[in-house]
Amino acid sequence: MLRILLINDTPKKVGRLKTALTEAGFEVIDESGLVIDLPQRVHAVRPDVILIDTESPGRDVMEQVVLVTRDLPRPIVMFTDEHDPNVMRQAIKSGVSAYIVEGIHAQRLQPILDVAMARFESDQDLRAQLHARDQQLAERKRIETAKGLLMKMKSCSEEEAYTLMRRQAMSRQQKLVQVAEQIIAMSELLG
Amino acid sequence: MNDTFDTRQAWGNGSDAPELSSIDVGFMPLTDSASLIVAATQGFAQPYGLNINLRRQSSWANLRDNLICGELHAAHSLYGLIYAAQLGIGCPAKDMAVLMGLNQNGQSIDLSADLQRAGVITPEALDRRTHQSGTKLTFAQTLPTGNHAMWLYYWLASQGIHPLQDVDSVVVPPPQMVEHLKAGRIDGFCVGEPWGASAVNQSLGFTLATSQTIWPDHPEKVLGCTREFVQRYPNTARALIMAVLDASRFIEDSTDNRRSTAQLLSGSDYVNAQVDDIEARLLGRYSDGLGNHWQDCHAVSFHRQGEVNMPWLSDGMWFMTQFRRWGLLREDPDYLAVASQVQQLDLYRQAAEALNVPVSESVMRSSQLIDGKVWDGSDPVAYAHGFKLHALADDTSVTTDR
Repeated sequence: MLRILLINDTPKKVGRLKTALTEAGFEVIDESGLVIDLPQRVHAVRPDVILIDTESPGRDVMEQVVLVTRDLPRPIVMFTDEHDPNVMRQAIKSGVSAYIVEGIHAQRLQPILDVAMARFESDQDLRAQLHARDQQLAERKRIETAKGLLMKMKSCSEEEAYTLMRRQAMSRQQKLVQVAEQIIAMSELLG
Repeated sequence: MNDTFDTRQAWGNGSDAPELSSIDVGFMPLTDSASLIVAATQGFAQPYGLNINLRRQSSWANLRDNLICGELHAAHSLYGLIYAAQLGIGCPAKDMAVLMGLNQNGQSIDLSADLQRAGVITPEALDRRTHQSGTKLTFAQTLPTGNHAMWLYYWLASQGIHPLQDVDSVVVPPPQMVEHLKAGRIDGFCVGEPWGASAVNQSLGFTLATSQTIWPDHPEKVLGCTREFVQRYPNTARALIMAVLDASRFIEDSTDNRRSTAQLLSGSDYVNAQVDDIEARLLGRYSDGLGNHWQDCHAVSFHRQGEVNMPWLSDGMWFMTQFRRWGLLREDPDYLAVASQVQQLDLYRQAAEALNVPVSESVMRSSQLIDGKVWDGSDPVAYAHGFKLHALADDTSVTTDR
């Protein structure tokens, strides 16, 4: 069963969502008003999904969403009365997986949560691939730099420099990029 | 009109950059995983926009299951594992693919020190021992449909020993072979290096036969994946072939490169074995534990100008003929059709040509095996049915056809 953290950012004490969720058979593990330490709360209760019920998402809400997305990514579904497309765009940009305007019907909750979860997973994959690509590019640059330094030091060809670096890495059971870092560090030391 | 435009558009937009920038690739701790490990750690994949994350597996069955369910994108695989999965032997059938060959040679059949003390050190002595009354000997291989089962069976049969009647077989993951031999739970095993050398170096056993004496330059490990992976991510598959092909060429560039490869492999993240156990046989220096030493001209090889890496159709077909021979297949498959689907010749060709690695015009190769039989892929049905020792069972349809 999905464990839900409910954030009630409406003036009402008991939000409209809690009842609908309970009726639909979900487990609401925690309900609170908008807190300033949402990432810590997510860390403490480890929900599968975060629902935010808000009349109109303001800057404070968006900031909390950004923090959660950065530190402890979770699917976030926002229920709101705000029709302004700019606000919606900003919410999605901050990391909201689904933005639902008005009308909370118990029977619609399951599909909404399913879509949000699927969307979240594909976003995460994309993020991971992008991160891998960035890292790969950074590693390639370091290896290129080290190769250039070695070519100068040893006055050797590009291929010879690669082979020297690889042999060194392999005989120490290291990755090529680790040896590249050592060469760069050494060259900085020797100026 | 629209179609033409779309195609051109797709070609223009879609470069041959890999669809995935990071992939998980499985391997078993064995010397013949070298080209994959070198490719992943020594910067051979990044130039093609790819990151290879190595995932060590605990057994071949485990590796196969992870490959089939998509947990792994590709893997260092046994030829026999890929074809058994393709045909649904020992697991649900799944369309599989062989991207390239990773190595030839470099496996061995080793017997326990107890048998050595009892004088069972020649094929003849083993033949006598297995046909004595009393307890059957127990030999370990690494997967019922795997290469080591096939090498063990082929070798035993070539010596007149029926592998399914005269001895017992058990499955043990490669890194645990030596331990089982030491504990006396098995009398011998067939496995990839360095585990044979490890048993010899610890005086726990001796090498009775190398796999290259069964078939000089035999096909061994392949880079395997599901066909679904090739279809969804063709550019990623091609980039992976190029990275590994580049790394295999590098390993064979010089003796120094082979030596550093042995050092890398011995690391705890990879094969996790003594560097001496890996290095000697990687350089072709064999000692069998009976006092014989030799330089093996068919030691493990990773490239040989691409001959090792070409996914020959006849190599794939051979494993199916042995499945048929030993009754793992009850009927003859369409050997050529199955192999043509599994072996990714087109993709391999593109990768090899981009790296100036020669590619053979022929898709079959001819070899003579230890029993004198020639295998060239031309008549797989006759070949599969032509062995004196077998477990073909009642294959009426085939015998009447012939």
